[in-house]
Parts: sequence; C-alpha cells; structure tokens
Amino acid sequence: MPDAHSFGVDPITCYSWNKDQTQLALSVNNNEVQIQNFANGKWSLKNTLTDHTQRVTGIDWASKSNRIVTCAADRNAYVWVQESGKWSPTLVVLGITRAATCVKWSPMENKFAVGSGNRCVAVCSYDKENNWWTSKKIKKPIRSTVTCLDWHPNNYLIACGSTDFKARVYSAYIKEVDEKPAPSNWGTTNNFANLMGEFSSEAGGWVHGISFSASGNHLAWVAHDSSICVVDANHGLKLTIVKTEYLPFMDVIWINESSIIVAGYGCVPMRFNYKDSLTFVGKLDDADSKQQPGKVSAMAQFKAMDSRAATDVETTLNSTHQNTIVQLSVFAGGKERCTKLSSVGTDGQIVIWDIK
Amino acid sequence: MSTTLQPYLKAVRQTLTAAICVENFSSQVVERHNKPEVEVRTSKELLLTPVTISRNDKEKVLIEGSINSLRISIAIKQADEIEKILCHKFMRFMMMRAENFIILRRKPVEGYDISFLVTNFHTEQMFKHKLVDFIIHFMEEIDKEISEMKLAVNSRARISAEEFLKRF
Repeated sequence: MPDAHSFGVDPITCYSWNKDQTQLALSVNNNEVQIQNFANGKWSLKNTLTDHTQRVTGIDWASKSNRIVTCAADRNAYVWVQESGKWSPTLVVLGITRAATCVKWSPMENKFAVGSGNRCVAVCSYDKENNWWTSKKIKKPIRSTVTCLDWHPNNYLIACGSTDFKARVYSAYIKEVDEKPAPSNWGTTNNFANLMGEFSSEAGGWVHGISFSASGNHLAWVAHDSSICVVDANHGLKLTIVKTEYLPFMDVIWINESSIIVAGYGCVPMRFNYKDSLTFVGKLDDADSKQQPGKVSAMAQFKAMDSRAATDVETTLNSTHQNTIVQLSVFAGGKERCTKLSSVGTDGQIVIWDIK
Repeated sequence: MSTTLQPYLKAVRQTLTAAICVENFSSQVVERHNKPEVEVRTSKELLLTPVTISRNDKEKVLIEGSINSLRISIAIKQADEIEKILCHKFMRFMMMRAENFIILRRKPVEGYDISFLVTNFHTEQMFKHKLVDFIIHFMEEIDKEISEMKLAVNSRARISAEEFLKRF
C-alpha cells in the first residue's frame, strides 16, 4: 500500500531526503525551503530556510557531507551547512542571468551542477584559497533551457536534458578538484565541457527527467512526446526509444540495472524493464482495480443536482496522486536494488511506494 | 447534423487532455519573469504545433499549446444575423467579466469568438480533468443558450409587435 502524506494544497516543487531518510528538505511552490523531520510516520517542521527571493526550483541533500544545495528562479544557489541545529547559507557565484532550474551534487560531493534558463549548466567546485564556490559553465551546443541533470557514478560525467529536445552527456572534469578520469565506455577526455554524446527521440519533445543507472552504463530520459529513451554505453551508445500512449512523463529513475520507474502527468508511476528493448511491466498504483467510491449515495447525488446542477459527483481521481507527479527519488535500497521509492506531486502529497 | 457533435467533442477532449500538460517555467528571455509562453511567443522551441478541430467550416476550435500555458479559441456556429448579434453580445458580456471566470481571455484570438488561457498556475490549483470537462460543457451549452435566446428574442418581438398593432 502506498504511504501518502500531504503537505497542504500547494504543489511540492522539489525535495530531497537526507542520508537515512529521517529528514526531508522540500519547497511548496514558494521561496522557502522547509526541513521536516520524519519519525514514526509523523512529520514535524524543524527549520525554514528563507534566503531565496523567488521560487525554489531545485534542492539536493548531500548524504555523506550533510550539506544542502538549493537553487531558485532568482538566479542564485546557496550551499547550506548545519551548525548546531541551524543551517547557514553560503551564496554561490553562478554567473547566470536567468532562473536556475535544477541542481545535483556529484557522487563524491566535491562538485555540484546547476541547470539554468541561460542555456548552460554551471558546474561549481569549492575554491579553497578564496574560500568560496566558483562555477564553470558548459554552454555548447545547448540551445534552450536546461531542465534536468544527473551525474554519472564516476563523478566526472554529467547528463543534461533541455527544452531544445536533446539529452546530452558532457565531461565535467575540473582539474583543481578531480583526480585524472579513468576511461569509461562513454569515451575518455580530460577536457571540461567536452560533449560525449547528443541524443534525441525522433521527433523529440522537451526533456523532463534524466537518470543514469547505478553502474553508469545506461542513461534513461523522458520527454514531452510521451517517449522513454535509453542509451546503452555497453553496446556503443545504442539508443532505444519507446513511444507510449500515456500522458508525458516528468521524471525517470533506475531501480536496478534493468528496470526504470517513470511518472508524470498521468499521476501514476509505471515500471518498465530494459533488456535491449523497453517493455511495460505495470503501474505501481492499482488505480483501476481500486473500488469506485461506493455507489454514490442517492442523497449526495440529489444534493449536488440541487446546489450545483451537477449530474455526477465524482471529482477526485482514482489514483493516490491527485495531480501531476513531479519528482521521483529512491527511498530505500539505492539505485542498484531499490525497495522503496518516493514521489511528490503538484497535489502537495509525498507518497512512498513499495517496489516488489 | 448532430451525429457529428459527439466525435467532435471527443476529439477536442483528447487534444485538451494532452495539451493541458503544462509545467511552471521561468522565462528564458527576460530575467526573473514567468509569463505564459503561448502569449509571449518569443522562443519557438517552447511552442507546440497549433491544432484546429473543425466540425464544419463555421464551427471550429483552435488549440495552441506551449510549455507552461494553453490557449483554446472557439468559433461558434452563427447561422443568421440575429445569432451573430446575440453571440457577439453574449461573448462580450462574459469577456468583460473574465476575472471571475479565471481561465477566460479578455479578447478572443483573431478569427474566433471566444478564447481561454489556461496556465500552469491554474492546473496547479484545479484538477486538469475538470478544467477539460468545463470547456467541453461550455461548448455543448453555448449553442443551446444562443438558440434559447434567439427564440426569446423572436417571441418578445412578436408579442410587442402584436401589442403595438392592436392600436390600429
């Protein structure tokens, strides 16, 4: 049974769990980041971080170093460090002149990447001499807003999806903080911002979500043409596309090396298996088998007819999420063997799903 | 003629369900702005191909989508002069009160009688399937309303003419 919690009526824009899923950092469509404690199925608000001046668009909680990075539509990003129960921010000089759209810590947490409406990805690293975070930009050949990104487990490759219908893999190797990159089957390069591959589903649609598998050999993304694409680096960057009949998906995540979960405007997460081709396995929400909320009582029907001239009383959806699912993340088990998954939606709910 | 109504509305409903998938998107042209892209139209890659669904050459619906907003324009059947005047006045009445309708646009798109603008802010606050239901219901009812008004105009005209001519 999915475990659903509501944070009010406002959509949850972005969220991130801490290392052991006891705390959640989230934003409910405003400029604040809430840190909520999750204990025994109950939530309690611990802190509210209010340094951003516009809508917060991305939050990532670094599990090992316990730092939070947030980015917002006000073109800024902050790195938050916890000192004796309080979170203190450090402004990051991104150098972008449009809204930031997404942010992710690298696997080793010495860098993070921010996507923006400036048609670039800013990769930030800590400059010890000057004691601040500096950024280097990946620009070519991105031609529109970057909407999503994900790091490869080797800490130096990064995949980004954009509204110019393409998914791209770049090298984000920064000489000052990284060791020499080991060869990978995406290609090897010592140059920052080197394009390793550019992909698109035939007609293409805005890329909404992108994810590397746990080994980094597979890259999956979902686009607005309701397609799911997977690139296999083990077989020479072979591209597999499946065009589904469902409404477009907003996010994708690998739950083991051969399965992905996608969710989006259909409000129901779905599972696909990948083994040379993508096959639909099933929906996580048994919305169809769920009972129609009884035969609606005659009383309720007449009441509705009288007050609103409505002939049907049904407004809510059969699924757990009542509106678009916006972001998926692993709750337990890691990307290699995920046993639980969490999703948030524009209905203000966070739902924890069991993966069998 | 009415056998074309159901497939017409079904086609409009399917298209709307797909087009109403909008998300919040900050402007990539002006900093710190968040405007409906279907109205601003500065970035071509953010706009979807407009779709026109026609029942016949007089009745059609134009659906223009984009990443964060959707514009629906409806051309209503106006068979004769009276219907044209009634339709024009009725639409004007509603468009002057567009704030209360939330999703109504104050001016119709060129070539159409009435337009709706649905943005991601609306889909965040309201159910998408109910918004689609509302628009389909609107399209069904509008023809009935205008016919009713036409009958009312005709009967009033007849009664007042009768009363006037009784003098003679």
